[in-house]
Amino acid sequence: MSRIDDDIAALRGYFEAGRSHGAQPSGALLARVLADATQAQAAQAAMAMSPGAEPARQAGLWQQVLRGLGGWPALAGLATATVAGIWIGFSPASGIDAYLDPADPAYVVDLDPWQTFDLASMTEGAM
Amino acid sequence: MPLDAMNDISDDALLVLFANGDRAAARALTLRLTPRVLAHAQRLLGSPAEAEDVAQEAMLRLWKVAPEWRQGEAKVTTWLYRVVANLCTDRLRKGHSLPLEAAPEPIDTSRGPAAALQGAARAEALQRALGGLPERQRQAVVLRHLEDMGNPEIAGIMDISVEAVESLLARGRRALAAELAGQRAELGFVDEQD
Repeated sequence: MSRIDDDIAALRGYFEAGRSHGAQPSGALLARVLADATQAQAAQAAMAMSPGAEPARQAGLWQQVLRGLGGWPALAGLATATVAGIWIGFSPASGIDAYLDPADPAYVVDLDPWQTFDLASMTEGAM
Repeated sequence: MPLDAMNDISDDALLVLFANGDRAAARALTLRLTPRVLAHAQRLLGSPAEAEDVAQEAMLRLWKVAPEWRQGEAKVTTWLYRVVANLCTDRLRKGHSLPLEAAPEPIDTSRGPAAALQGAARAEALQRALGGLPERQRQAVVLRHLEDMGNPEIAGIMDISVEAVESLLARGRRALAAELAGQRAELGFVDEQD
């Protein structure tokens, strides 16, 4: 007989006594547990019926839009591009002023790059 | 549905009925599971009052998880024993309970007063000895020898390997046998062997 078997044999009577003397719940405990169950069922039913479920659905829709855009990294890129566009609109670089607000409103059109006399210069007055 | 008609329904099927608002399922689960949860908590904690609090809290968590329960994925009792063990561990670490406290049990006199008293005395001695074991050894011994669970199920509850369960059991039984060896005559074991 191994030591494990010896221990089990020595403890068998204790374990039998322990199994037959397990705690039994009082009526008060069972009543409290059942009251909790009833309350939980009522709360779950109320949650299913209440308009409080609406924010969750909206959050779900927002998550879907975010996924459609490509997630948070794509949204961050979109936000950066938007801010840069607004900044350029309000405070453009000096180099592009000539294009946006020219003193001499003339422009050149290359009508046929293969011909020698192919440039036409048009001024506002000539138009 | 009458309560008797629910005796053949599995725990997880009852839990689905409960989540659908079935009152009879709530009663059936309360009567079926509360005694097991309470007995387990008392064996781990030693204190009847603390065990009642743990049993009520564990059952409350079961009610709350019911709507998300996926039938067939996990065993309800395995989940419950794990919750009970975690709640007991929290209480023991906070010093809420006295592991050496012997729980007064109702004495079953159906086998005669002397045998009943002897059984109660043995159960109390075992509870005191269990209280002296390290927490994990106590849990393994209680699940194996008092709740009659197999080692794989115990491994699932304790989230360890079957080999680790066997090791905890061997060490726990060794310590219990050593602790209780001196009380055998006093508790009537020598007379039974003679």
